[in-house]
Amino acid sequence: MSALLELEDLHVWFDLEGGRELHAVQGVTLALDAGQRLGLVGESGCGKTTTVLGVLGLLPPSASVSGRVLLNGRDILAGGEDSIRPHRWTDLAIVFQGAMNALNPVQTVSAQIVEALEVHGLASGRAARARVGELLEAVGIPRDRGERFPHEFSGGMRQRAAMAMALACNPSVLVTDEPTTALDVMVQAQILELLDSLCRDFGLALLLVTHDLPVVAQLCDRAAVMYAGEIVERGPVDALYHDPRHPYTRLLFAATPDLHGNGTPVSIPGAPPRLDRPLEGCPFQPRCDRAFARCVDERPLLRSLEGGRAAACHLNDVVAEKVH
Amino acid sequence: MRGADYVAKRLAFAVLTVFIAVTINFALFRLAPGSAVTNLARVPHATPETRLAIKRQFGLDKSKLAQYGIYLKQLVHGNLGVSFANSQPVRDNLRTALINTIPMVFLGTLFAIVLGTLTGILAAWRRGTVAEGATVTTALGFYSMPTHWLGLMLVILFAGVLPTGGMSNEFLIDPPFWTHVKDLAEHIALPSLTLGLVLYGEYTLIVRSAMLETLGEDYILTARAKGLQPWAILRRHALRNAMLPITTLVALSLGYIVAGAILIETVFSWPGIGRAVYDAVLQRDYPMLQGAFLLLTVSVVLFNLIADLLYFKLDPRITE
Amino acid sequence: MSVALREPGAVIELEPIRTRRGVVWQTIRRRPSAAVGAVLLLLVLLAALLAPVLAPYDLHKQAGPVFGHPSWSHPLGLDDGGIDMVTLLMWGARISLVVGFAATFVSMVIGGAVGVAAGYFGGKVDTVLMRITDYFLVIPDVPLMIVVAAIWGPSLFHIVIVIGILLWTSTARVIRAQVKSVRERVYVKRARALGAGHARIVFRHVLPQVAPLLIANTVLTIAVAIFDETALSFLGLGDPSRISLGKVIENAFQRAAISTGAWWAIIPPGALVALIILSCSLVGGAIEDALNPRLRVAHLSARSFRLRPLVGRSSDSL
Repeated sequence: MSALLELEDLHVWFDLEGGRELHAVQGVTLALDAGQRLGLVGESGCGKTTTVLGVLGLLPPSASVSGRVLLNGRDILAGGEDSIRPHRWTDLAIVFQGAMNALNPVQTVSAQIVEALEVHGLASGRAARARVGELLEAVGIPRDRGERFPHEFSGGMRQRAAMAMALACNPSVLVTDEPTTALDVMVQAQILELLDSLCRDFGLALLLVTHDLPVVAQLCDRAAVMYAGEIVERGPVDALYHDPRHPYTRLLFAATPDLHGNGTPVSIPGAPPRLDRPLEGCPFQPRCDRAFARCVDERPLLRSLEGGRAAACHLNDVVAEKVH
Repeated sequence: MRGADYVAKRLAFAVLTVFIAVTINFALFRLAPGSAVTNLARVPHATPETRLAIKRQFGLDKSKLAQYGIYLKQLVHGNLGVSFANSQPVRDNLRTALINTIPMVFLGTLFAIVLGTLTGILAAWRRGTVAEGATVTTALGFYSMPTHWLGLMLVILFAGVLPTGGMSNEFLIDPPFWTHVKDLAEHIALPSLTLGLVLYGEYTLIVRSAMLETLGEDYILTARAKGLQPWAILRRHALRNAMLPITTLVALSLGYIVAGAILIETVFSWPGIGRAVYDAVLQRDYPMLQGAFLLLTVSVVLFNLIADLLYFKLDPRITE
Repeated sequence: MSVALREPGAVIELEPIRTRRGVVWQTIRRRPSAAVGAVLLLLVLLAALLAPVLAPYDLHKQAGPVFGHPSWSHPLGLDDGGIDMVTLLMWGARISLVVGFAATFVSMVIGGAVGVAAGYFGGKVDTVLMRITDYFLVIPDVPLMIVVAAIWGPSLFHIVIVIGILLWTSTARVIRAQVKSVRERVYVKRARALGAGHARIVFRHVLPQVAPLLIANTVLTIAVAIFDETALSFLGLGDPSRISLGKVIENAFQRAAISTGAWWAIIPPGALVALIILSCSLVGGAIEDALNPRLRVAHLSARSFRLRPLVGRSSDSL
């Protein structure tokens, strides 16, 4: 049985000045079943946002894409923009970072949600406004607030409004990009709880993109760690935390300050590699504390491990060899 | 009412500016070097009684400060003096001239706005293509042409096809209505076209810039993510938002157009305000000059005010 | 034409001061529009500068019949006085450019001073200066120039002053915005903490950063100044003793060049003016664009992202 959403070997390139290219996403493969929650984590610039933008086809003209995006088994990327557009919002909905301008500043919030309903032919006029009221209440915004403009909302409320809008056409997959960044800590907790309950109540599959590990830990069962445009490890969140199979995963979790004050946070020295040149060897090797000779020459592939896990590190082969 | 303060503040500023303009106007003409300006003996064909009346009216025999006061008082009463050239009240001359100028400027501006908007949107939409380059270069090209020279070029081009001087055919005596209209239309064509061509380039650049700015905003991406078709996004989100800076910039530019019409009216002998200024300069008709200058300055202030108020009305974010 | 309508935004700083020194040169090299404009300007400048040497005929001696037709010996024909048009154009460009540069210089000095003072000192100084600028902005250029030229009398000097007095406002605003942003930089604050005097800070730290934008604004102002001079000449307010390009057009107009069909007396001088203004606009606009890069990607455009064939598996798991 095929998963709800599958990415197969997704690549994204961006044109640069002088004829060069930035290879922003380098062969991402993911699967998301109905009702599942997957976290996509990594540092800024690792390509996680670009990946989900690619899934929805929201890339600029300077981008080239290859790979397959399977929705219920059918490749929606094959026809480019035209084959993806029909699925936007009705199957795949996205909530962007709660920046000031993710909502149109000169339209009321409810007008923008109504637009989503009308464009997809789900409701219009009074029925649409009624539905908007329901959606707003579901995210904890009083109905009449909908007639206000986005700048009259606080950051947290704007995020909620965006979520209400995302639910308007009953999608099966909800993508959220950095849902809690730029919000107060208190508000963050509320938003996460809301996200949790919405996914449960509406039976949504969740693809959560963030650099904030505790968020993933709270909301998701599984996670994929991205580095330099590719997935370096995948698996249940618990396993990633307690038994990482990639040095980057280990260092990433170790770098997160622990509320209980256990141990000192470790920062990873160095910087991610440039993606406008072809890479040789493992992309993490220059910063890795466990690198050895093979890591410099040979790029590790994402290999399946036990328990539905996968990792792209030669160390796992070494272990396997040692076992033999 | 939302932002009553904002409106009041802007209004006050406009009034203050007009006041300052009036003062500068006075200073320019009364305090300028050379007695040529204030020497009433220069008024041609004026009877001694007229001269005395004018002298008393404008207090030209009193101190400068007193003259200033009298000037202001006369202004409030709408008395702008008497033209040296035709001995008519300046106010009446200006009114006639303004009535002649407005249709011509209106048509030209309309043409410029429509053409500029269409080309600006095209240039922004087709960013990075030959179409954009060509559109922008053509716009810049027309923008760079001296107004009067463009007018002369059109005269050369259309000589014999369209009339190139005056507002109507003087030899048509009591023409039937539609002939009269056709005649007026023929005469207004070239001057309006000149104005339109000179102006549109600027609007193209304004619209293109505003559209590019808008198209880079996050809510455009949101609209796209919602599954809207490109045309719908353009219409409902991009254009609507770009209208903000476009409207205000256009309103601002309107204030200066009347001034630019001076050159066009000179080329086409159009009896409007610009021509009145030119003639007044030639004939050293200082009361007319002073009156026209004041009128032009006030129009700029007025349009600035309109631009401010428009922006306030269109953008719900301003709540001062 | 109104330079005042360009929006003066604060410039987004991307590079440290060292690399910015070459911005103007870099822009001209990289952008074709700026390169074309720069080359054209250079050509015109050369022709004007070398007019005394290069001009084919004498400026004051009649070389043929009035409104003589273009011919091999006179590629652009003769004007209303029988003088060779090419010669006229070269000498005319000279005067026009001189007026343009001089007026721009005046406006830059005033505008630069006002802008730096307003941006650097802020507070009351800023408010007062900006109010004054606002009032100047409101005065319509052409009528004021006409009035002043009419009252003062036409002379090159007066014209330069008049044009300069009207054009400084846009420079002031642009400079002020830039100075304000530079003032908040760390190295400026450091210099102040170290006790550097205002003058020193302005000249060593603020001005170099402001320079590229000032250059762009200057080039654009030159364009407007030349246009204004042309307009004034056309209205009969130019200096009668000097022949500028505007005067050439006016002479032709007055002496009925059109009715005699002598298009060569009217079209070339205006075309040359248009060319100069266009070149200035291209160069100045390109520099402005380079200093204010649009960092945002267009989220909507006519073209769409492209598809590529599958690359091949980089993992063995799904």
